[in-house]
Amino acid sequence: MKSYLFAVTLFCVVLAAGCAHKPSVVSDPTPSAAAPPAQQVMVAPKTEQSPALSPEVSAKTVSGNLDDYQDIEDPDKGREVEKATIADPLEPFNRAMYHFNDKLYFWVLKPVAQGYSKAVPEKARVGVSNFYTNLSFPIRFVNSLLQANFAGAASELGRFVINTVWGIGGLLDPASSKEINLSKQTVDFGQTLGVYGVGQGFYIHWPILGPSSPRDTLGTVGDVFLYPSIYFGPWYVWAGSRVYERVNDTSLQIGDYESMKEAAIDPYVAVRDAYVQYRLKMIKHKGGPPPAGVSGLLEKD
Amino acid sequence: MHTKTLKAIVISIVIMLTIQGTAAASGPFGPPQPVSRPAGGLHTGFGYWLQEDKLKNNEEYISRQQQIYSELGYGFQKNWDLYARIGLSGLKLFDAFSPTTTATTTSKNDFSENWKFFSTLGVKGFYPVRPAFGIGAFIQGTYYFSDFTDNVTGIQSGAPFMAELGLKNLWDVNVGIGFQATIPWGINLYIGPYLYYAEAKVSPSANITGLALTSGETILRNNTVFGGFAGIDAPLSRGFRLQIEGKYADRLSGGAAVTYAY
Repeated sequence: MKSYLFAVTLFCVVLAAGCAHKPSVVSDPTPSAAAPPAQQVMVAPKTEQSPALSPEVSAKTVSGNLDDYQDIEDPDKGREVEKATIADPLEPFNRAMYHFNDKLYFWVLKPVAQGYSKAVPEKARVGVSNFYTNLSFPIRFVNSLLQANFAGAASELGRFVINTVWGIGGLLDPASSKEINLSKQTVDFGQTLGVYGVGQGFYIHWPILGPSSPRDTLGTVGDVFLYPSIYFGPWYVWAGSRVYERVNDTSLQIGDYESMKEAAIDPYVAVRDAYVQYRLKMIKHKGGPPPAGVSGLLEKD
Repeated sequence: MHTKTLKAIVISIVIMLTIQGTAAASGPFGPPQPVSRPAGGLHTGFGYWLQEDKLKNNEEYISRQQQIYSELGYGFQKNWDLYARIGLSGLKLFDAFSPTTTATTTSKNDFSENWKFFSTLGVKGFYPVRPAFGIGAFIQGTYYFSDFTDNVTGIQSGAPFMAELGLKNLWDVNVGIGFQATIPWGINLYIGPYLYYAEAKVSPSANITGLALTSGETILRNNTVFGGFAGIDAPLSRGFRLQIEGKYADRLSGGAAVTYAY
C-alpha cells in the first residue's frame, strides 16, 4: 500500500515539476504527457534523415508521384535553413521514455482531459490557462532581465499588472488585446543559459517531462524556484495544482499530438528534431513573441 | 461652450471631494450608462473609495471606510449592466469608546479595524433620450463577509476593565436615478439622487457603565436616507476609462476607479 502511495505521489510530483517549465513546456514539442501541438513538427529542420515531415511532404512520399504536388510551395524555398542537431547517445533509453510518455498520454492524460473538457466550458478552461500563465510571470520577468531584455521585462511587468488588476486575477488577458498589445515573452531559464553560451549537450527524453537536454533540465529546476505557488501551502497542494494545470492545458490541445504522430514517419525523431530546432530559435530570438514560422504553432493561445 | 461646461463640472466635483464632510453607502454608482463596449460585453475595474457616514442608535457616530475593490461587470448593449465588486475595507467608528461619564476612562476613543472583505452587487438600466443625454436607474447593495472587532481597556469607578466590541453584518442597499450627458472627447458627466439604507449590529463582550455602545446588543443605522451623487467618466488610452465620483448624504464620500471594457 505504501509503495502504491509512493508511486502515485512520485507521479504527481514529477508531473507537477514538468509543468513548472511552462514557458517551454507549453510550447515545447514534447510528446510527453503534455501532447504538443501537431504542427510543431513543421518547424523541424528539413534534414535528410529526419522523418519529421510536413503533411505535404508526407503525402508526396506516400503517393510516390511527385508531379501531382508540383504546385505546393516549399515554405523554406529561397531562404537558408539552419540545421539543428543534437547528440543522442541515450537513444534506447530516450525511445523507451518516449513510448512511456506516449502511452501515458493516450491512457491517462487524454481520457482525463477529455472528460474534463466535457464538464468545463472552453471559455472557463481558457480562463484557467490564462490564470496559470499570469502566475508564472516571475519566470518570464526574471529571465527577461537576465537576458538584458529590458523592454521584454517591462512588457511582462505591464502584462502582469494589467491582467491581475483588470483581468480578474489573471483569468482574463486584456494585455493581449489589440489596443494594449503587450505580448507575452517566451523565455525560461534554460533559454537564458543558452543565450549566455551554455551548450545544450545531448538529448534526453525524461519520463513525464518529455524532451530536454542537460541545460534545459537545469533550467527547469531554476524555473521551479521562480514559480510562486511552491512557496504557498504544502507540496501536495502545489503538485495537485500543477497536475490540474497540465490537464487543463491538455484539454485545450487534444488532437494536436495525434496529428503530429500521423504526419511523422518516426514520431520520436520528429519530436526530437522539432524540440532542438525550437530551442535554437528561441535562444536566437531571446524572448518576445515566437519568431516567424513558429508563431501559432508553439503557442497554445 | 463645451469647454466652459466641462470646467465648471470638474471644478464642482473637485470641490465636493475636497471639502470636509462625507456621504453614505458603500462604493461608487458609476455612470448610468454601462461602460461596456457598444455591442456589450465584459468590463472590469479597480478602484478606491473613501466613505463617511453617520450611523446612530441613541447616539450618532461618524463612520469612515477606506475601500479598495475589483469590479467585474457585463453590459448588454450599453443599456443594461450587471456588476459585482469584491474588495477590502477598513472601518473607523469615531468616538465609539468615548466615555459618557467622568467615572470612566478609556485607552482610546475610536473603534478601528482594517482589511475586511466585502462584496457589492448591482444592476443598472439606461435609456438614451438624446444621442448625448440619457437617464438611468440602479440598485446596488453591499455586504461585509467579515465582522469588525476592536478592544478597549480602561478604568471604571477605579476598577480596570477590558471589553471587545464587534460590528457585525454590515450591509447597505442603494436605489437611485442618474442623468448623464456626453460631452466632446467621449467624456460622460453624470449626476443624480439616491436613497439608501445601511445597518450594522453592535455586539459588545461586556456591559461597561459609561460606554454607550457596550450596553447590550443594538443596531446602528444610517442617519439620513437621501443623498446625491455626481461624477465624471473619461476615456484614457488603450480602452481604459477613468471614473471619479463623489456622493453626499450626511457626509461627503468620494473615490476613483479605472475601468477596462473587453
